[in-house]
Amino acid sequence: MRLTPLYRCVRSNARRYVTVSIDDASDVRPVDKIKPPMSRVAPSPQPENVSDEEPSLGRSNLLLDTEEKALATPGLVFADGHGLRGPTGKGRQTRRMNYYQSVRDALGTALATNDKAIVFGEDVAFGGVFRCTMGLTEEFGKRRVFNTPLTEQGIAGFGAGYASVGGCAIGEIQFGDYIYPAFDQLVNEVAKQNYASAGGYPQGSFTIRAPIMSVGHGGLYHSQSPEGFFMGAAGLRVVIPRSPIQAKGLLLAAIRDPVPTIVFEPKILYRAAVEQVPVDDFTLPLDQPEVIREGTDLTVVSYGTPLYTCLRAIELLTNPPPALVQFLPEQLRPPHPPPSIQLVDLRTINPMPSAAVADLVKKTGRLVICHEAGKSGGAGNQLAGEVGRRAFEHLEAPIGLVSGWDTPVPLVFEKFYQPDVIRVFDKIVETLGY
Amino acid sequence: MISRAAASRLATSTLRSALPRTSISSTIRRGLITGPPAKTPRSRSRSETPTSAPLPSPTPLPEFAIPSYSPYPPTDGSVPDADGKPLYVSGSAAERQAKLSRMSSPLRRGTYESWWTGEMGWFNAVSKTIPTYRVLDEEGIPVKNAKVPDLDKAEALKMYHTMALMPIVDNILYQSQRQGRISFYMQCSGEEATVVGSAAALREGDEIFGQYRESGALLYRGFTLKSLMAQCFGNVEDVGTKGRQMPIHYSAPELGFHTITSPLATQMPQAAGAAYALKLDKDRQGDCVICYFGDGAASEGDFHAALGMNSVLGGPVVWLCRNNGFAISTPIIDQYAGDGIASRGPAYGLDTIRVDGNDTVAVLATVREARRRAVEGKKGVLVECMTYRVGHHSTSDDSYKYRAVEEVQEWNVVDNPLHRFRAYLVSKGWWTEADEKALLAKHKKDVMHAFARAEKLPKPKLGEMFTDVWAVKKGEQVPAVISEQRAELGRLLKKYGEAWKPWKEGLKKFAEQGEDVMDTDGRGA
Repeated sequence: MRLTPLYRCVRSNARRYVTVSIDDASDVRPVDKIKPPMSRVAPSPQPENVSDEEPSLGRSNLLLDTEEKALATPGLVFADGHGLRGPTGKGRQTRRMNYYQSVRDALGTALATNDKAIVFGEDVAFGGVFRCTMGLTEEFGKRRVFNTPLTEQGIAGFGAGYASVGGCAIGEIQFGDYIYPAFDQLVNEVAKQNYASAGGYPQGSFTIRAPIMSVGHGGLYHSQSPEGFFMGAAGLRVVIPRSPIQAKGLLLAAIRDPVPTIVFEPKILYRAAVEQVPVDDFTLPLDQPEVIREGTDLTVVSYGTPLYTCLRAIELLTNPPPALVQFLPEQLRPPHPPPSIQLVDLRTINPMPSAAVADLVKKTGRLVICHEAGKSGGAGNQLAGEVGRRAFEHLEAPIGLVSGWDTPVPLVFEKFYQPDVIRVFDKIVETLGY
Repeated sequence: MISRAAASRLATSTLRSALPRTSISSTIRRGLITGPPAKTPRSRSRSETPTSAPLPSPTPLPEFAIPSYSPYPPTDGSVPDADGKPLYVSGSAAERQAKLSRMSSPLRRGTYESWWTGEMGWFNAVSKTIPTYRVLDEEGIPVKNAKVPDLDKAEALKMYHTMALMPIVDNILYQSQRQGRISFYMQCSGEEATVVGSAAALREGDEIFGQYRESGALLYRGFTLKSLMAQCFGNVEDVGTKGRQMPIHYSAPELGFHTITSPLATQMPQAAGAAYALKLDKDRQGDCVICYFGDGAASEGDFHAALGMNSVLGGPVVWLCRNNGFAISTPIIDQYAGDGIASRGPAYGLDTIRVDGNDTVAVLATVREARRRAVEGKKGVLVECMTYRVGHHSTSDDSYKYRAVEEVQEWNVVDNPLHRFRAYLVSKGWWTEADEKALLAKHKKDVMHAFARAEKLPKPKLGEMFTDVWAVKKGEQVPAVISEQRAELGRLLKKYGEAWKPWKEGLKKFAEQGEDVMDTDGRGA
């Protein structure tokens, strides 16, 4: 999973943060000055000896593989209030973790810092089928980390009840594909509880985690992206972290927030995504999209796994391999400077951060949205509608949407169902050339 | 701004106009007492809208009266009857009997049968322990009092042939998943007797609703190895699921085997519905539904919904629980605190039995009888088969993380359903070692042949991704949302199919290599 030195040298400037908001102003480090865009004088963008195989997801530039980059994550707030220097003044430590280890770390932190926190779900006690609760039963005991009977509606309702009297419930639905029996509890009860009781209930908090999206061979019932179904559930936040650092920070923030939250975890990332994750207790801001990559010509908005697809498509556009140059219009081909494309992680889809995205799109004038879920009833059309209304006068092209097809996710066809790098590439080129 | 008094007057007048004049005065006098009406109009004439219908007036409280008898001593200190007769006499023996029978008449106070009692009698089980029925012991010898069911040699051997085939199919497909040749697999190891014993008790027209570990029932019914392998590889011959579903999600309408889906217990209310359809269908009297489910699935709401609906509406269905001790890693101790699944049958008024699920003969006898009861009574019958999941939950699971290897081995050696049934066949003189060797060799050859053949075949045409999403009548066109998206994929494939390596490679595995999508307007061939 480690990047090879060879690959390192061809990395593009994927991460250029303009601002780094950190809890302690005195701790603001000089922004990591990353080299300006690689100027291309010759149309030979592919460095020698690089395989023409598509790089695996784990090698994506989206993943923060150094301590420095990890600690520069925007919005990172340490729970102890000591900022980046830490309580000892010697700085903060990070540890190499994959996505499931980071989730496990967050759950352990939540259990350690709140006596009323419980973690429960199907097969949770032995570590969970995705290993996200590994060792928690041994560490915190069977009363706080436990298996439930096999009933998703039970898990959701139980969590709601536990939270209603002041507890901190952290439930797990084994697959997002199996969340539908819990739909009644989540949409009719959990989402509306605060409104129905005029703020009287819940007195605690309820967070429910579920893996979603595709791993490439899940078929109808192990590759779904059901997040769109929850977009009409006012009062129920839906968060989709894209990486280990995001998973820990957003999960801990959700657990400590009174708003009931579903955290959907893209399951392919559990093992594939590895980052240097800060070891200490920290949170990241909820309900805010994050600009992952700055750009001025076009905005790409996504969440979860497709962000990796989008970044790869942007890299291909910035550095087109010979096979793809033919598909670029003249002005996008070398030696012209590559298009400057902004990549935004939506992170929260309910409540939809429409205004924030519209503001970003106003600066670029072009928007492409990408998600794995089908087009109908998905986050993409919702966002496109909002941005279309809010930024109508700024738009220079129709809003592009690359998504799964409006069919169930079909096993052997999955690679042609999912929004593929080339489909995002095509949509960006089309939108830029409009 | 309306004054408070005015608002109150307004509210009162609104209330008055909302209530019928005849009842308003009495209602107000009694302080708006609510309760069941004394005489609810049974039906409203059609011309009356609900708003114009008179609201039933609340039942008035009975007139205040001092009871003629009191069970308590008088408060004024006077001495009651000196002869020591009971103070409270509620009537003659005949009257008391009438009262009792009234209580136990159907649909009174939410119960069919009950009686009054002065004792606060809590209970936790209908009978103390539910016994487990078996015919053969672990050595294949009939147990005391057991009546061996009628089982002729041909049927017995057919059952054994299927049971012996299952581990061979399982091993090859399990290993092939490990080598990345198929995407997923689930073994049936340890549960062969439950699945084949029950399938053998069915008749041709019966409908099977499986959970996902019932490939044995399908094979017993005549599902070919070719079809089985085709589904697991999702190749062009997979007519049942067209490569869309994960391996083991079989679908065989021609064999009455309903499509396997991954969500648990969802098949159960469907089985209740199908059974009700059989009950109503004059041409299908005598057919039955069998619905398989696991001990874990029985915790889902759908389990209770299914049994509840079936018990009220009727319809012949055998609810067959494969209680194999585990739901993935969750042992039964984390799954339920009651007495298994069988204890829930009487709660829904179902005839219920618990049977040794590793005893093929007992399962056969039980399901035959269950089927008879279900068909004759047009109702549900619950059978809990006690077995053990010897294999891992699936290829995504390593069960030694949560259970000891020794425990699994013990089950496999001491209580192996195949060994038990084989011992019975040998004791009847129907089976020899030579037969066994010949059978296993034939099975291995057949399975390897089917496997090798299925692996070589291409996947279905890429366009099958878009077909059947919406059921379309012959000659009619699919909804535009599908044809547009199909056309979009076709456009992209034409444009990038050669230049984009992942697609170029990916298209090779499909029949027609994606060209079926490229040369249409998105409506399909």
